[in-house]
Amino acid sequence: MKNTLKVQRAIKDLTQDDLAKEMGVSRQTINSIEKGRYVPSTVLALKLSAIFGISVNEFFTLEDDD
Amino acid sequence: MNKESMCEKERRRLEKLNKFQLSHSYKKIGIIASITIFSLMIAKKFIDEPDWVKPILSGLLLVSMLLISLAKEKVEDEYIDSLRSQSYRFAFIVVIIYSLVQPLVNYGVGILFDETETLKGFDYFQVLFFMLVVQILVFYKLKRYNK
Repeated sequence: MKNTLKVQRAIKDLTQDDLAKEMGVSRQTINSIEKGRYVPSTVLALKLSAIFGISVNEFFTLEDDD
Repeated sequence: MNKESMCEKERRRLEKLNKFQLSHSYKKIGIIASITIFSLMIAKKFIDEPDWVKPILSGLLLVSMLLISLAKEKVEDEYIDSLRSQSYRFAFIVVIIYSLVQPLVNYGVGILFDETETLKGFDYFQVLFFMLVVQILVFYKLKRYNK
């Protein structure tokens, strides 16, 4: 699964730490999501969607092997 | 009480037990206690102590390591929870394989030097100690990978 979190974060000029604090998770969580090592739960995906004001589908896209 | 509500109650109890964790401060207590007890166990080898000291120290060491294992991180979220689950799964599998293979290796090596060597297993302390060490190390290693 690919995601555009890093790009969206850059557009909003947020650091990983800022976003982590806003979402109530650790910075490592944001880092692993950005690197594609961790697929967040629906709750976290919806929180991201609410913070950035874009739909979950714009954040995450399935890859061929998913 | 009908069967469905009993199952629901059971499920909730299991979920609660599954999510049980200690506060972050227990991690420090666990580390200090583990180091102290481990040092005492080493020191004990050079001093003549009564027989009951060893099982008590072994038990205390396991409890203090369990405190480290169960203590929450500063920020405990779903990602940390998934790393913790991975580390428990890894430790469980590794320790089972280790405790099945290691006695055979010991026996194989032992018989090369002494033909009267017998096949010996592990005591509970060795197995639990190894399992906790593997779990704690793997958890922190996984955490470090994603810093």
